[in-house]
Amino acid sequence: MASASTSKYNSHSLENESIKRTSRDGVNRDLTEAVPRLPGETLITDKEVIYICPFNGPIKGRVYITNYRLYLRSLETDSSLILDVPLGVISRIEKMGGATSRGENSYGLDITCKDMRNLRFALKQEGHSRRDMFEILTRYAFPLAHSLPLFAFLNEEKFNVDGWTVYNPVEEYRRQGLPNHHWRITFINKCYELCDTYPALLVVPYRASDDDLRRVATFRSRNRIPATGGGYESDDAYHNAELFFLDIHNIHVMRESLKKVKDIVYPNVEESHWLSSLESTHWLEHIKLVLTGAIQVADKVSSGKSSVLVHCSDGWDRTAQLTSLAMLMLDSFYRSIEGFEILVQKEWISFGHKFASRIGHGDKNHTDADRSPIFLQFIDCVWQMSKQFPTAFEFNEQFLIIILDHLYSCRFGTFLFNCESARERQKVTERTVSLWSLINSNKEKFKNPFYTKEINRVLYPVASMRHLELWVNYYIRWNPRIKQQQPNPVEQRYMELLALRDEYIKRLEELQLANSAKLSDPPTSPSSPSQMMPHVQTHF
Amino acid sequence: MFSLKPPKPTFRSYLLPPPQTDDKINSEPKIKKLEPVLLPGEIVVNEVNFVRKCIATDTSQYDLWGKLICSNFKISFITDDPMPLQKFHYRNLLLGEHDVPLTCIEQIVTVNDHKRKQKVLGPNQKLKFNPTELIIYCKDFRIVRFRFDESGPESAKKVCLAIAHYSQPTDLQLLFAFEYVGKKYHNSANKINGIPSGDGGGGGGGGNGAGGGSSQKTPLFETYSDWDREIKRTGASGWRVCSINEGYMISTWICNAITKSHPQRSDVYKSDLDKTLPNIQEVQAAFVKLKQLCVNEPFEETEEKWLSSLENTRWLEYVRAFLKHSAELVYMLESKHLSVVLQEEEGRDLSCCVASLVQVMLDPYFRTITGFQSLIQKEWVMAGYQFLDRCNHLKRSEKESPLFLLFLDATWQLLEQYPAAFEFSETYLAVLYDSTRISLFGTFLFNSPHQRVKQSTEFAISKNIQLGDEKGLKFPSVWDWSLQFTAKDRTLFHNPFYIGKSTPCIQNGSVKSFKRTKKSYSSTLRGMPSALKNGIISDQELLPRRNSLILKPKPDPAQQTDSQNSDTEQYFREWFSKPANLHGVILPRVSGTHIKLWKLCYFRWVPEAQISLGGSITAFHKLSLLADEVDVLSRMLRQQRSGPLEACYGELGQSRMYFNASGPHHTDTSGTPEFLSSSFPFSPVGNLCRRSILGTPLSKFLSGAKIWLSTETLANED
Repeated sequence: MASASTSKYNSHSLENESIKRTSRDGVNRDLTEAVPRLPGETLITDKEVIYICPFNGPIKGRVYITNYRLYLRSLETDSSLILDVPLGVISRIEKMGGATSRGENSYGLDITCKDMRNLRFALKQEGHSRRDMFEILTRYAFPLAHSLPLFAFLNEEKFNVDGWTVYNPVEEYRRQGLPNHHWRITFINKCYELCDTYPALLVVPYRASDDDLRRVATFRSRNRIPATGGGYESDDAYHNAELFFLDIHNIHVMRESLKKVKDIVYPNVEESHWLSSLESTHWLEHIKLVLTGAIQVADKVSSGKSSVLVHCSDGWDRTAQLTSLAMLMLDSFYRSIEGFEILVQKEWISFGHKFASRIGHGDKNHTDADRSPIFLQFIDCVWQMSKQFPTAFEFNEQFLIIILDHLYSCRFGTFLFNCESARERQKVTERTVSLWSLINSNKEKFKNPFYTKEINRVLYPVASMRHLELWVNYYIRWNPRIKQQQPNPVEQRYMELLALRDEYIKRLEELQLANSAKLSDPPTSPSSPSQMMPHVQTHF
Repeated sequence: MFSLKPPKPTFRSYLLPPPQTDDKINSEPKIKKLEPVLLPGEIVVNEVNFVRKCIATDTSQYDLWGKLICSNFKISFITDDPMPLQKFHYRNLLLGEHDVPLTCIEQIVTVNDHKRKQKVLGPNQKLKFNPTELIIYCKDFRIVRFRFDESGPESAKKVCLAIAHYSQPTDLQLLFAFEYVGKKYHNSANKINGIPSGDGGGGGGGGNGAGGGSSQKTPLFETYSDWDREIKRTGASGWRVCSINEGYMISTWICNAITKSHPQRSDVYKSDLDKTLPNIQEVQAAFVKLKQLCVNEPFEETEEKWLSSLENTRWLEYVRAFLKHSAELVYMLESKHLSVVLQEEEGRDLSCCVASLVQVMLDPYFRTITGFQSLIQKEWVMAGYQFLDRCNHLKRSEKESPLFLLFLDATWQLLEQYPAAFEFSETYLAVLYDSTRISLFGTFLFNSPHQRVKQSTEFAISKNIQLGDEKGLKFPSVWDWSLQFTAKDRTLFHNPFYIGKSTPCIQNGSVKSFKRTKKSYSSTLRGMPSALKNGIISDQELLPRRNSLILKPKPDPAQQTDSQNSDTEQYFREWFSKPANLHGVILPRVSGTHIKLWKLCYFRWVPEAQISLGGSITAFHKLSLLADEVDVLSRMLRQQRSGPLEACYGELGQSRMYFNASGPHHTDTSGTPEFLSSSFPFSPVGNLCRRSILGTPLSKFLSGAKIWLSTETLANED
């Protein structure tokens, strides 16, 4: 595995809170160099603060705020703690303590993040340092409330691959063998007039005429007709339709459940009754229900060769979860890096999962009832599957984590806005960079070494509490005491063996070459084999 | 896939590993007569024909027809029918696929459908009805069910009663191992020491390691030289071996140990295990609950409250407590340079577990197969862990406690956290656990070495066996794995992730330099608890009753208990902040999120919990292929170097890996084999009578999978 780099383009997700005792060389460098900056990123301010680290106690540091991130560097000699937080992950900024507050470090800011952590800074009571910092943070963390653009529109990063080209609907439908004599492609929604939250291009039953579709649309929330992968209520076009209900709770329940998870893992992990505390959050239970639903869908499709209608009240939360998970189970293509990107692009982004509302990009209203971790829940389900099938996915855990990190970061345009028509209006593909550009230009880092490419294998995960686990490396990653070994020792071992294999093959070829040379021309032996490989066996 | 064919009905085939060529699926040869395969000394005590073995509760379409026999060693179901749906991928040479050793039986339940009666059968009990059904609850978590609809009602009843009788013997000498060994002595009366050399059966053998690679013998610590070697290996220069207890006179159990302590004995750290750890009854209670939860309770009904139910068993809490305490002792030894005395009322339960865990953490040697086996030999068998009582071979349940399993579980936690630090795999640990349930190996049969000598001498006299100058009979050692598994199957014990040192530290009795940065010590001293109050230890009191030692040359100032906790914390924090050296100390992470349920061990017989074509075995498989390929390449390289004359020599080396790469460049072409599942190499099919699960995968998740009967409902019989 590539080692975690702290290069300028810090693509290594957000895992930067680390204490490095070895590298102190950068401390005295120029200020502008002290903060990693993306092209288009500008430094707004910097301040001396005390970072109240929940794990290592208060640390004096300098915080730099840019239009993209909050960056903190320790000023203490025995710690080189670095905090690198995109402002997009901030959901709430609160002042703590008042002018009369006494006690050490009682005056400052408390920042709630969407990625399962809180940041606390203590500031001096004199001057207006807290007010300044509060205002600047508020302004740049919630740009929409201040008529500022999201950072994605300012980002000038360049990558050698263009992530926006990853998903091409016509190509993808063709890969699935569509259109065929059951399904046809329609441009009825070309100008988003039938359904403004659906993509321009749709695949619908062959026998359903465009007029039918218009009629059906009027019955559905915001005219969201059932499209590919699904059927719809008019049963002459859909025989073999079977109805089953899944008891999955609503988005508000999910939000509260995640909150409870945070309560038991941050800053301290509930120790004495870990399992029952975890149970009381119901998070894994919800994961189980979603997976169970997806398994049902996948099983219906794979056993009956029938199509399945998946729907929820408006068809953009559960539907996306269930269809995309079912596709992941059924079609091994989606288990590759690129396939997964296409899946997200198709089932989530294109079909109008309301990312803007569910995540609240750049919006200060942290209590908004529309927010809900629906996409996180989907990624969690994918992680659960990857745990049960360690060789079935081309991507690794880091891949899923970086997707979640940039779900919030607003550095890329990928997850912005609620639907395709809004993205088109904002010219997202022209004015922003795609997250897939970052990932695809550095694919090696996100590859699962155990991946075994397989065709036609349907995955049936076991949706049982016996196998579902809390995703520690995501939900508890900020806690250095809980964090698991990185890189994963098993993956690391595999990579070492791969390297060893290649080395042996190389040597073997060299030797064979040398030996054949020896045979044809005995007197000259350029390098004796024993010289060549003195330490081959020491690895074992 | 290998050897699926049943062995020929001679006992030679049990004792000799089958030829290595049977790598293909053989079409099973039809055995006309259903004959049991018996071991030396094994006799059939009862049998019944036309029995149906149930595979699933909701359908009889997969049921197998055959004969059920009860011998003095096992119950055996003999059938012509092939196992439906899913096959086993390893086989025990001592036991058929459908066999259950008598010592593995936990509870016997007989049922009569028509009369709606059930009865839990104890020994010497009467059965007033003719059973239509027999359910065997096994100690290894299996549940086996037979139906007698077509068999003679009387003979069915007799078999049930025979099983109840023979599986619950009252006397140690009634355990099958005695009969077996007695037979072997008689059969080979002309051979030296009774047991023919080469089958490794005796105490002196210890057998070779798990497979191809390791041919090292496991020291059994029965002899002076084993101890002497261990002292040299660990560099414990202030200690000597003493044979004062040769006649087991010092105490009732073994103490052929080190009696001279280190000069700075005042710096001993005393750890009162009785105060800090759960007692054996609590561990047993936790285990009973865990088992109830994992296999007996209906799968679907336990789902909703699974996590809290698991917590309520307290099993994980106890595993964690042992790991945590052991890690703290590692701190005392490693960082504080203190000798540690383990105090426990009898000093042969908790201390076995703690002493072993401490050594597994401290010394990489004990993370090899040979090392681990020698550790069990040293800290459990010779230390007088009461296997007989704790495993409850004689069904005196008040003394039963699964401390040894708890140790294996705790070791598994370490393996899970440090997958490259152990030479053995989790399959090895699970198989080792199963082996405690086979009443053939002297290793797990006795309460102490003294008991072995005493009981087997009595037995030998009663059977006219000449012992010569031997001390008691020599029973087969569990470490002779070739008794149970073929060489191919034994490769499953090897952990492909292991990064080992190229050579072990001892060869031919001479100590090679063993690289250690600091002096490192591999044993703990266990003392007598009552005498160690107030920190005053006289020479006599320090005399360890136990076998092993630890000492540190450089004493530290006496520990201050106040700051001790934070010091320990600090030590752990620093240790975890650095990358672990797999050839040095390893410490467990013990937060609630890190201690996990050992699924292979506890779920392998539960069909609903099985992930087909998944589980960590699939990554294991992939890595095995690669590791095998690297091995092949390295052999080819050696051949190339040594020239064409020796070219064929390297081919003799057998693969260390269960899964082989077919050629040097084939790793990526093979997908995940069909037979892999999270239960591999075990298979839940046919070993647990639940609803059928193969067919539609949905039935696994959606409908309440009802288990036939839970033991609870059977408490009131008749």
